[in-house]
Amino acid sequence: MRLFSLAVQNLKRKPFRTLSLALAVAIASGAVFSTAAVMWGVERSLDRGFSRFGADLLVVPQGTLVGMRTALLTGEPSTFYMDGAIAERVRALSGVAKASPQVFLTTAEGDHCIIGDAFLVGFDPQSDFTVLPWLRERMERDMRPDDVIVGGRSEYDIGQTVYFYGEYFTVYGRLERTGMGLYDNAVFMRIDKAYDLAEASKRFTDAPPLAFDESQISALLVQIRPTANVDAVQFAIAQHPGARIITAGNVVTSVRQNLVALFSGTVFLTAVFIAGNVLMLSAIFSTIVNERKRELGLLRAIGARRRTLFGLVLSEAALLTTAGGVLGVAVGALVLRVYERTIVFHLESMSIPFLWPAVLEIAVMAGIGIVLALLVGLTGAAWPARTASVMEPYDAIRAGE
Amino acid sequence: MSADRGETGAAPNEAPTSVTALVELKGVAKSYRIGDQEIHAVRDVDLRIESGQFVAIIGHSGSGKSTLLSMIGGLTRPTRGNVFIDGENIWAHDDDYRSMLRNQKIGFVFQFASLIPTLTAVDNVLLPNLLGPRNGRRPREEDAIALLERVGLGEKIDAFPSELSGGQQRRVAIARALFNRPRLLLADEPTGDLDEETEAEVMELMLETCRELDTAFLMVTHNRAMAETADRVLMMKAGILS
Repeated sequence: MRLFSLAVQNLKRKPFRTLSLALAVAIASGAVFSTAAVMWGVERSLDRGFSRFGADLLVVPQGTLVGMRTALLTGEPSTFYMDGAIAERVRALSGVAKASPQVFLTTAEGDHCIIGDAFLVGFDPQSDFTVLPWLRERMERDMRPDDVIVGGRSEYDIGQTVYFYGEYFTVYGRLERTGMGLYDNAVFMRIDKAYDLAEASKRFTDAPPLAFDESQISALLVQIRPTANVDAVQFAIAQHPGARIITAGNVVTSVRQNLVALFSGTVFLTAVFIAGNVLMLSAIFSTIVNERKRELGLLRAIGARRRTLFGLVLSEAALLTTAGGVLGVAVGALVLRVYERTIVFHLESMSIPFLWPAVLEIAVMAGIGIVLALLVGLTGAAWPARTASVMEPYDAIRAGE
Repeated sequence: MSADRGETGAAPNEAPTSVTALVELKGVAKSYRIGDQEIHAVRDVDLRIESGQFVAIIGHSGSGKSTLLSMIGGLTRPTRGNVFIDGENIWAHDDDYRSMLRNQKIGFVFQFASLIPTLTAVDNVLLPNLLGPRNGRRPREEDAIALLERVGLGEKIDAFPSELSGGQQRRVAIARALFNRPRLLLADEPTGDLDEETEAEVMELMLETCRELDTAFLMVTHNRAMAETADRVLMMKAGILS
């Protein structure tokens, strides 16, 4: 027999009390774990999305900032156009390393499109630096004009044929999943094919034609030279009438604002709950020490040192709260798994991108949840454990006489 | 060991009388303050107990005999005076020393069923082994079983306290008190809540085992008949030992 098993036996004495305390800790640690997992997923999505995005600036038409942000984050179709001549003018700026135009279009409902309301993005393969470098899988050949690339969450298979406005395309490749809606959900095609579709759309009478022409683009993705003055480049671009600039920082800030609005209440409640757990454990372990005063005095009479009793009480609390922590994390993981789609849907409806954390990251968060539960136990039981350890053995033995 | 003298006023190296007794008390007193009133539970007690000796202290409830026993056992600190065990002033040492002393040299039998309810009889007897110094600690289950057999409970080693009668529980407590072959057994009204027949059995058991182990036995009781078998009988009244 070890002291540990004595602690286990003590917890078994009052199973209902032990279970209730463990459940209370489980709720707190489960909430911490789940919240952390979701928040981490959003952060991961942002980090990964922007690090692979590759563009320092996004130039869009005036008045379309919100639409572009939504398109970027959630992949929700958004169409707007500006004069394509801006691409050459921006490229000509000394601090600009790369500038690649893109044109956005939304497919119409009808027999001429495989799916309606899909988000199509035309990109320029010659100047592109945000699409082709991130192909996760592709056909064993070069990309052809009638090929398309699908986002990481697309359900189309490689080699599958899709059609838009009566034009047939082959799914050539799939991008890595990023958590950025635009790159996960859109269908990418060569920009000249996008212009062809605009022309083709005019043939169909059952849907409005695509309202852009070859002189227009939707966005210009800009990469700035490492040595350039970012502010100076931004200023120079902003001089173009009708152009607005979005930086990665703008988007991240807006997402974080949404995130804070969504989670601040949860974080606050969880913190209150944890503090409540500490106080509850302190009160209950004080009662436990008081109930077992004579027994603790008896252990001292048999030769237990002060630190042994301190350790015994702390061991009981640690065992109980660690068990609660493990339970909470397990239930939290189960809830996340069951409501995975709902969670992603809600986050995306708030323009918050999301990418599930990697297994190792989830394991780390689970570990943090369990360690937090352990700390709750140790903190809550510290004072009662000290009380138990400093009691004069004779007074403790005489308790209840 | 670091000194932890507190209010006893004892010098750590103050020597006991020239011929070292197992237990020696010099001017030991204990008083409590309740409001403005000072209660003198034990007044200036001097006492010597030799190895193997059986000493009984009789007195009414509240006479201070249990307090005296607890000061000898290192369970409560005297207000004044010194307690020597094997020539060492136990209250001049730190708490760890007294814990080790209680574990290795002193056994206690209390007036209540002093078993841990969640542990079996054998695990209760093994508690001194669990709580003792780690160095050299080894599983001694066979020793515990032998002791339980010695006290007539060989068939009950896996029984929990709730499955044992009052007398059987007291036997387990005696086995536990003797587990580390202590030099001194301290018994505080050890048969207080037992019927006459069981009381005699328990008393006989304690005396026999103490004789076998050459363990000094100090018992406090209010039962004069039980005290008659002792080598020395002392009387305690209003905190004064005579």
